Amino acid sequence: MLTTSQARRWRGLAALAAATALLAGACGSTTPTTTPAASTPAGQSAEPGTSEPAASGGYTGPPVTIEYAIWGDPAEINSQKAVVEGFTAANPTITVDVTVADWDSYWDKLQTGLAGGAAPDVFAMDGPLGPDYQTRDVLLDLTPYIEAEGYDLGQLDDNAVKDFTTRDGVVFGLPRDLNVIALFYNRDMFDAAGIAYPDDTWTWEKLVEVGKQLTRDTDGDGTIDQWGLYTETTDMENAWSSFVWQAGGDILTEDGATSALDRPESAAGIQFLQDLIWKEKVVPDPAIFAETGDAFEQGVAAMEINGSWLVPTHEAAGIKLGIAPLPAGPAGKATSVNPTGAVVYANTDAPEASWLLARYLASPEAQEKIMALKASVPVNKEILATSYPASFDGAQVFADSLAFAHLKPAFVGYNEFATILQTELDENVFNAPNKTAADAIASVNEELNGILAGGQ
Amino acid sequence: MSAPPGRPSLGSGWIGLRFTRDRGGAPSRRGPRGNDERWAFLFIAPMVLGLAFLSAGPILATLGISLTSWDLLRAPELVGLDNYARLVDDKRFLMALRNTTFYTAVSVPVGLALSLGLALALNQAIRGISWIRTMYFLPLVTSAIAVGLVWAWIYSPTSGLLNQLLGALGVPAQKWITDPFWAMPSIIAMSIWQGLPANTIIFLAGLQAIPGDYYDAASVDGAGRGGRFRHVTLPLLTPSLFFTGILSLIGSFQVFDQVFVLSRPGRPTDATITMVYFIYENGFRNFKMGYASAASWVLFMIVAVLMFAYFSSQRRWVHYQ
Repeated sequence: MLTTSQARRWRGLAALAAATALLAGACGSTTPTTTPAASTPAGQSAEPGTSEPAASGGYTGPPVTIEYAIWGDPAEINSQKAVVEGFTAANPTITVDVTVADWDSYWDKLQTGLAGGAAPDVFAMDGPLGPDYQTRDVLLDLTPYIEAEGYDLGQLDDNAVKDFTTRDGVVFGLPRDLNVIALFYNRDMFDAAGIAYPDDTWTWEKLVEVGKQLTRDTDGDGTIDQWGLYTETTDMENAWSSFVWQAGGDILTEDGATSALDRPESAAGIQFLQDLIWKEKVVPDPAIFAETGDAFEQGVAAMEINGSWLVPTHEAAGIKLGIAPLPAGPAGKATSVNPTGAVVYANTDAPEASWLLARYLASPEAQEKIMALKASVPVNKEILATSYPASFDGAQVFADSLAFAHLKPAFVGYNEFATILQTELDENVFNAPNKTAADAIASVNEELNGILAGGQ
Repeated sequence: MSAPPGRPSLGSGWIGLRFTRDRGGAPSRRGPRGNDERWAFLFIAPMVLGLAFLSAGPILATLGISLTSWDLLRAPELVGLDNYARLVDDKRFLMALRNTTFYTAVSVPVGLALSLGLALALNQAIRGISWIRTMYFLPLVTSAIAVGLVWAWIYSPTSGLLNQLLGALGVPAQKWITDPFWAMPSIIAMSIWQGLPANTIIFLAGLQAIPGDYYDAASVDGAGRGGRFRHVTLPLLTPSLFFTGILSLIGSFQVFDQVFVLSRPGRPTDATITMVYFIYENGFRNFKMGYASAASWVLFMIVAVLMFAYFSSQRRWVHYQ
């Protein structure tokens, strides 16, 4: 999840003023910010059936303006506007107002907007947080549109579709792109050390072995100044959930009702990350880079386990970037995939135009544009199979990794679950080896199960 | 700020007006009393109206919401005092309560003492004093975000300024923000630095409101520097002290920004979570607006009780001119 990516970190700080302002006014304003009702003639029916578009779908309703809200860097607004341009060109009577907010204020704004009845018509949704919105009557059920048009969900990545479909088969939104975890490496550092680049034969043992070779005190002053491996510890997505799956464990049990973290295999995965930091000492103590950001991006770590969203950041930093699949663990290969999607506000004035935008974002045309930004993996199977793998050096690795990718868990109460779990892991497992992974999990597992039970 | 000594300035005059009324004492003001009062109400009108129309409603609403289970998006469900009962057993809430209390107990007295010292040092008639004062007031006009970023670098375990300074003295490097022991003291230090100028301005205004005659009289009676401070400055500064004390106490129970900024990436740990962060986390991240509202009322009651005790103590130690 992008929350924890260093790239996003500084942007999050800008949320402060907005967040405090929201705290003060949380219960107030219902002022509509966008999509004035006047732009939609009062007589327009919201029934999907009545303004039925042709199967391939041009917009047939009256002129409307819809707001499409995303999280991200303010700079991203231009690339996102470029993605949407193809849509407005094909539907000249629809105006799309793209708004962007950093991760933290995005959710604050969204929740107050939803509570006040003035949410964006279409907004980005992070896979794991989806169920918390799906179960609260704020998203538009897209099933009628899908059925009316005969839209084939099979053209999109199966895992990703899962996050936007309830167990009862109701479709709330379409996935837009995928975040996939892989192993980044610095070619210059490997060349300088005369070590062969990581490949798909790598295992945990090999990772530790090469990690040790590349962890060095280059100037002989007694402190390490080149690390073998860097990763982020504050969210399961960056590294440790993949380790759990590679060890044969899981985050939740198959029915999603209870935590599976207390299985020995799950603990072994989390333990591996603690060992990389504190036993093998190939990953820096998380405190060291907590304030200064990504060690790999700064050129002081030879490898990094992290997500596809960092590709443009690393390239911009001038790293000679190589990308390899994650090493296999005791139970084989695994990685994490987390989709971002576009969902539609239940009370939008322009349901048809909103559906069409969500549909467009998953179309091959939009997917090509999203793909070109390199920050995420396309969700459209056609693009994934044809143009994406060759679109940049390493894209093939992300595409191939989908074959053994596990979906980042998504359930009601995700944030609370993650807060309880991660606070314990940060404090006692990763930031300092006060407890083994198994002991830390034992101390919170009951509470985690309570949260899962409450969300059922 | 630059009012010549001996002339009443806004700080103490305002405080006198505001709080002497409560004790029924005779305030020392020029002009007919009724006229002053009318002006006073006029001046506080924007604040009072803003509070009445924009804050009072939501504040009262949270009391109702605290008795419900409300996820912000669907209709609330009445649950009586359940939220309050659950708070008592919530480990994270108790941590937040403990941390906030610790934060207040340290940051208020230390912050006030430092501001007072700074105000005394800045209350000098030397060349360039306006420039020097301006320098000290800079943190007040610097955005909390910028301050947070700079302090994050100061606290950086490897390249941070603090560890480099301490390293020069032979003290081993500390992991300030991620070390559960040092995390809260680090946040407190940053907050004190940030809050220093606001209190200093009030103290400085209070100092400049003390008539020079009093010092002359004290000198004639044989009082030295220390005597003049203890028997003239300090008693006459108690209204300012009382006022800054109120602001600091309330402000410190509401600490949020510093924790929010310094605990990125990730989230506050058990060592750094505060009451308002807990409220934010539950209301805006965990879909528990009812629970968050209950926590807000617990916080409000704590502050109200403290304020009541503080105001009751006023008679014993606050001296108005």
